[in-house]
Amino acid sequence: MAAVTTMLSRSPGRHHLLLMPAVLLVLALCAVAAPFVVGEGLLRLSSEILLIFAMAQMWNLLSGYAGLLSIGHQVFVGAGAYGMFALSIHAGVNPYVAIAFAPFVSGLLAALVAPILFRLRDAYFTIGMWVFSEIVTILVGKSNWLGGQNGLTLSALRDMDPDWISPISFWWAAFAAIGSLVLLAGLMRSRLGLALLAVRDNDVAASSLGIDVWRSRFIAFVISAAGTGLCGAIYFLGPAHILPAAGFDPNWVVIMLFICVVGGLGTIEGPIVGTIVYFGLRQAFATSGNWYLILMGSVAVVVMLVARKGLWGTLHARYGISLIPIRREPPSDKTFGI
Amino acid sequence: MAWLETIVNGLLVGSLYALFGLGAALTFGVAKIVNVAHGEFIVLSGFIGIMLVGIIPIHPLLLVPLVIVIVFAIGFILQMTLLNRVVGKDPIPPMLLTFGLSIVLKNAMVEVFGATPRSINMGGLRFKGMEVFGMTLGVLPVIIFVISVSLFVALHFFLKYTRVGRTLRATGDEAQFVQLFGVNYRRAFGVATALALSMSAAAGMMLAMRSTITPFTGGDRLLIAFEVVIIGGLGSMWGALIGGLILGVTHLVGLRIDPNSGLLYPDIVFFIILTIMPRGISGWRQ
Repeated sequence: MAAVTTMLSRSPGRHHLLLMPAVLLVLALCAVAAPFVVGEGLLRLSSEILLIFAMAQMWNLLSGYAGLLSIGHQVFVGAGAYGMFALSIHAGVNPYVAIAFAPFVSGLLAALVAPILFRLRDAYFTIGMWVFSEIVTILVGKSNWLGGQNGLTLSALRDMDPDWISPISFWWAAFAAIGSLVLLAGLMRSRLGLALLAVRDNDVAASSLGIDVWRSRFIAFVISAAGTGLCGAIYFLGPAHILPAAGFDPNWVVIMLFICVVGGLGTIEGPIVGTIVYFGLRQAFATSGNWYLILMGSVAVVVMLVARKGLWGTLHARYGISLIPIRREPPSDKTFGI
Repeated sequence: MAWLETIVNGLLVGSLYALFGLGAALTFGVAKIVNVAHGEFIVLSGFIGIMLVGIIPIHPLLLVPLVIVIVFAIGFILQMTLLNRVVGKDPIPPMLLTFGLSIVLKNAMVEVFGATPRSINMGGLRFKGMEVFGMTLGVLPVIIFVISVSLFVALHFFLKYTRVGRTLRATGDEAQFVQLFGVNYRRAFGVATALALSMSAAAGMMLAMRSTITPFTGGDRLLIAFEVVIIGGLGSMWGALIGGLILGVTHLVGLRIDPNSGLLYPDIVFFIILTIMPRGISGWRQ
């Protein structure tokens, strides 16, 4: 019983639930105002940070919460970006609007391949995902419609006011980042979130409780792909040019993985910490070339050795702190009439 | 006849692919570790080979055993000092640790060896051809095929008939249970990883003989290794050999039909096989 009482005392009070929308509102207002206050260079860096964070969070949803470790997530980054470029170039859709369709492209791709990939279990899935992304990369590189090896250029952007490109991508990025937080926190408080955790921890036991394992995983997979695709589309608005080697760069997943591992896989706050560590290292050692990558790899190794749950995950496990509470109130003693 | 030649060449290169996969199959089979740094160890062995060839003036093929011994030691130390700390029920921590390791190794190799493609100087042997039943085959690829298949056979007998081999197989089946028989499963993991990396050492040396390597070659080789292992069925040795040969043939036949397709056809074949047999060839009957 002692365990339950400590959980009770540590579990978030109800005022936290009201606090969160307030914090989000403040964040959103800051995001709206930022482009008018902050300079161009800082604005671009902030957009990148927000996008990388949102991608990491999407990867976290699939790998940390649904237990499907993917090392092929770059396929959705590229799919979203290519979807946006193709809509703008071949259908004449305004690029800023086309971004909104990007998640449907990457989500659809995920939904189509899920029936094959979900036949594979654990490590088989992980590697199947990688092979799938390789296939898509090669096929896009061979497709003339998608520009082949020369890639696509977002020429429609030339006719637009260049002063607005950075602010609009920043707003999209802020939307993606805040959206990913809200989505994950909301999802994890829902029935589906509980189902996902149950499936991750023990799929056989979960299905014996009446949880549709396949369906829960499918929804998480499609949402994760859609979110990643949205971020990819926003990211490539900046350069206005995409190549198969850039859109489907395996480094995308390396970054997502690094952030989640260092911060804490399967926690909502983890990727926040991970993103800070990643960009901190990058900004501090960017000029040192390869040494910064060596350092990054070493950080991942050391974290695995000393704090296997990641920095935030370890803090959370030891002290029970959480910024964004998703744990439910355990049934109180009275429920059982004790 | 030209097609037959392509297929035979595919089998020859496939034996090397199988060897890439063999190491990965062994680490997975015994220690249940998906080693993401496997590709980097293949390339590292190639570079060790290139360095030794510059120092020791004997034929590069005779240096293969030396590189195998060196990398065996590296593998044993790696497992005992790092990987054994994270092995357990959850397969994800070791995978992530090797992921970090692969980033470190790759970029350290760029620092030490540079990014220009290099290979082991084989003298005249590299482009020597021979006539076999009307086909022209390279002498070197045939030698590599023979060495690869011999390594498979040697490992088979080692695992089957020696005391250490039996211990490894038992540990692969029940790592906790073997402790009752006085087996230190962590040491067994160490030997398994060491053996696995030795296999990739041989593969890396021969890769550097056949073609060129850069620190970035590891990624593609890892993909091939994983495909081989999974087509064969995780942890199965003979499955890996068959998987490697299938991929080799598909790769060369694919390149013949469609010259700039890269690994597209092997990737597609991988998917088709897995859709039919989700547990790989060796898991087919289960």
